[in-house]
Amino acid sequence: MDPITILTTMFILMVQEGSILLLATLGEILTERSGILNLGVEGMMCFGALSSFIAYYVTGNWVIAVLAAALAGASLSFIHAFVSITLKANQTVSGLAITILGLGLSSSLGRPLAISRVRIEPIESIKVPILSDIPIIGPSFFNQNPIVYLSYFMVILLWFILYKTSFGLNLRSVGENPSMADSLGINVFLTRYVATTLGGALCGVSGALLILGYYPSWYDGITAGRGWIAVALVIFSSWNPLYAFFGAYFFGLVGTLNATFQSIGFRIIPTDFFRTLPYLLTIFVLVIFSSTRFRRRKMPASLGKPYTREL
Amino acid sequence: MSVSTSRRGFIRDAAFALGGVAIGAGLGYMAAGAGQKPATVTQTITQTTTKTEVGEKKVVAGFVYVGPVSDYGWTHAHDVGREYAKSKCPWLETKIVESVEEAKVQGAIETLIGQGANIVFTTSFGFMEGTAEEAQKHPDVYFAHCSGYKSGAAGNATQNMSAYFAEFYQLYYLNGLAAGAVTETGVLGYVAAVPIPEVIRHINAFVLGAKETAKARGKNIKVYVQWLNAWFDPEGAKKAATSLVENNNADVLAFTEDTPTVLQVAESYQKKGKKVWSFSHYSDMSKEGPNAHLTGQIVNWGPIYVDFVSQVYARSWRSVDIWARIGDYMPYKWANLSNPKIESDGAVYLAPLNPVVPSEVRSLIALRWEQMKELLFEPFTGPIKDMDGKIRIKEGERATHDVLWNMDWHVEGVETPLPK
Repeated sequence: MDPITILTTMFILMVQEGSILLLATLGEILTERSGILNLGVEGMMCFGALSSFIAYYVTGNWVIAVLAAALAGASLSFIHAFVSITLKANQTVSGLAITILGLGLSSSLGRPLAISRVRIEPIESIKVPILSDIPIIGPSFFNQNPIVYLSYFMVILLWFILYKTSFGLNLRSVGENPSMADSLGINVFLTRYVATTLGGALCGVSGALLILGYYPSWYDGITAGRGWIAVALVIFSSWNPLYAFFGAYFFGLVGTLNATFQSIGFRIIPTDFFRTLPYLLTIFVLVIFSSTRFRRRKMPASLGKPYTREL
Repeated sequence: MSVSTSRRGFIRDAAFALGGVAIGAGLGYMAAGAGQKPATVTQTITQTTTKTEVGEKKVVAGFVYVGPVSDYGWTHAHDVGREYAKSKCPWLETKIVESVEEAKVQGAIETLIGQGANIVFTTSFGFMEGTAEEAQKHPDVYFAHCSGYKSGAAGNATQNMSAYFAEFYQLYYLNGLAAGAVTETGVLGYVAAVPIPEVIRHINAFVLGAKETAKARGKNIKVYVQWLNAWFDPEGAKKAATSLVENNNADVLAFTEDTPTVLQVAESYQKKGKKVWSFSHYSDMSKEGPNAHLTGQIVNWGPIYVDFVSQVYARSWRSVDIWARIGDYMPYKWANLSNPKIESDGAVYLAPLNPVVPSEVRSLIALRWEQMKELLFEPFTGPIKDMDGKIRIKEGERATHDVLWNMDWHVEGVETPLPK
């Protein structure tokens, strides 16, 4: 039991859990940057997991499965977009309804799969040449399945879109000040629809990673609250994809402490503490980051506010 | 809480949940075609009816489940038992209420009685008090509660209430025999749910079995335990299993957790060419680990349910406190010793044995199985020392029901002290 092995194990588990959180966080960042709050992450993740599971079981092709998950997440978030953008309903309520709908839909559609115990082969890891030989970092970050690599790529892509393209600029201005953006000729409704739908698609893909990568059978409750942690991570990462990368893996690392301490026989801190730790951290983060000064600086100014065009 | 409020509360909740999911179910039909039963994550009432001849006597059995039927362990196993009872008893009609919170058990029971249930099964420890109260309130209805200690037979409930449970420790001992025969590192891992006597007893029985076959190979056994403090925690189970293999060098992983995650972790190591083994839990999970599946403990609630509903049907009810072990509820006593797949109509049985288990150990497992069935062998027979070397069960003595039921110490060979 040498420290290198222990650290490597921690990092492998950190990347596995963290990447699931990362994809969902990125999706929610994209959505919230446009000014739409979608609390349906948990439901979209779950429905994405089920859809990819079925698609992978039927086709055996993980690319199709990931697309199915994206479509599932997108279709749920489209409902949210319609309700909160076109109908201008309360976004918190609509988001919660999306969670209930996603979980309920998955549960009812997945019922025969759960009862007949359908099983898939998890998709295989691919070693990145050279990089995977680096100690600790190599086996953890660079010996994973393709969806994990997709999550790294999405961090850069989303950062690039938000900060380096005119679409990103438009998107951010819609989230900050929609009437100003509107007067500049930006289509606020379309931008918000696109951001919300694509954000939901990413949440769906996080569900695909969960089930195709690490938990290859369907049963109720498979997402186990990860969607809610992703919602907190958005705030933790100040709506910035690059910070989300670190935030997701930080939460991933915290989640490995329990198993690691137990295996090395460090028993001063009780197991229950570690079980609550991610949630304690979430509350802590929310308290710290919701101070007025912080919100004014980081949070999209019109987050959660429906936009009505003034004539 | 009065009955009327809890009942109203239940109906309101159910209505809310059903309403919330109505859209979901509708979309479900569109997405997957007809044939789906609507279900929710909160509460759903599903009704299943067996055709009966008009005028024929029938029994209506209600089931209150703590989880959804589509979970991977506990509730699913009970529902398989319900289906079994239905297939054996043409006069039986069953109704279920899923995902019932423990505080709402009385509302669920009232609903089932309102639907004509003659007997109600409640399948969670937390349902015990509510079930006992309902049993007192409805002397004309029969009640059977799973995994508790209140029954008319035990003298702490009314005579229309029975208690039942299927006990696995003998099967864990047999799992241990298989584990001790295949381990190369001599290190076994155990991913454990909650530190209560039941789980501690299972770990200890597993260790006793493993030590027996490992000793024959001249190996010492070390067992590391990881506690999840939860019955359902696939994420924690995955991390615990991985840490046991990587950090502690374990190559056999036993577990008590309601998903096949630990077995899936073992299978992923097998895929990478590392020999790691694991087991089935509650139901046959061998499909989840075609290479890694060694054997495992399986429950069959069916015969117990048949017994209870038959008592109601025949009007021969007698309150009982059942602790079903190997041999109970079996229509025949002696099986073919040469048959490596031990399976029967009993309440508990062993999952198929992996061919990697050497034939002499397979014979030993079959022999011990038969001996336990006939009460000729008991895994907890002294001398048994605990982790600190203190004698807990004296030479030649067998652990009594009380000792097993209250076990709060680990046998020698376990390396992880119990959490305080």
